[in-house]
Amino acid sequence: MDIKYINSFINGFLNVTEMMGISGLQRTGLSKKAKLRTDNDINIIIGLVGDIRGNVVLAMHEATACKIASTMMGGMPVEKFDAMPRSALSELANMMAGNSASQLEGLGVKTNITPPTLIHGQKMISLISQVETIVVTFNGNEGQIEINIATED
Amino acid sequence: MNLNQHMPMFIKATVNVFKEMLDLKVSSGQVENEGEGFLSQGFTVMVGFCGGWRGWFFLDMSQATALKLTEILIGEQYQTVAEEEVLLSGAEVGNIISGNAITNINNSQPGLNIRLTPPSVFAGEDMSLFNVRLSAHSVIMQTEAGTIKINVVAEEGKG
Repeated sequence: MDIKYINSFINGFLNVTEMMGISGLQRTGLSKKAKLRTDNDINIIIGLVGDIRGNVVLAMHEATACKIASTMMGGMPVEKFDAMPRSALSELANMMAGNSASQLEGLGVKTNITPPTLIHGQKMISLISQVETIVVTFNGNEGQIEINIATED
Repeated sequence: MNLNQHMPMFIKATVNVFKEMLDLKVSSGQVENEGEGFLSQGFTVMVGFCGGWRGWFFLDMSQATALKLTEILIGEQYQTVAEEEVLLSGAEVGNIISGNAITNINNSQPGLNIRLTPPSVFAGEDMSLFNVRLSAHSVIMQTEAGTIKINVVAEEGKG
């Protein structure tokens, strides 16, 4: 996978989180996904079709997801991961993918995105796109967030 | 776009693929509307679409059923869905079903030009899936390897 594509996703994510008031995010890791099991109980997947084809997954713990949803809603307390935070997090992933797709288009790479699907569960195992997955980790005031990028190009 | 009208394409593709790839007979139930979210039986294969439609196809089953399907496909027994072969087998079955169904839909409506993402698989406990503002059309089907469910969510795309 070309590194410039990964940068488009990183920039897309940082642009959108900043816009939503989620500040202080630091990139803390960039690695290949080494295992199928994930400790994150919230995963939001968006598919990509076009010049690059694949899937991008935003993954985090439920507590982090609640804090992000709270920040997105102006600090309103979010104690339970119900319909409201589900919707907020899906919107965040949708905006991130849209922003990233615009950045990719700027590089001459045309991509369409699917709507987001949020998967909530315990002891999860995942296989994304059947290809090698790059994991970019961020840490911020709300907790740790991972972007899993698995594209064929 | 009336998704109800297209569900038979997904049902037919599922029945055919299970018969041809796995030699399993499938009996289909009624199409139901599940709303924004649905509970997984523990193993879900998902394939996204873009183009004339934007959405997802889901093939859901229990982990025991996923293990049985893998055993039929590969000819070896697996103990847990954490083995990559189980996830890859599920992904392949979901990929072929959605590919067949979407090819038929594209052929029946020239210009629709729906294209598919690669398949992804999630397995876990107490797993639920949500598609904000999109309603899932689902069909429960019975096979000799266990109950399977197909779900389709879609909206009109930009083409």
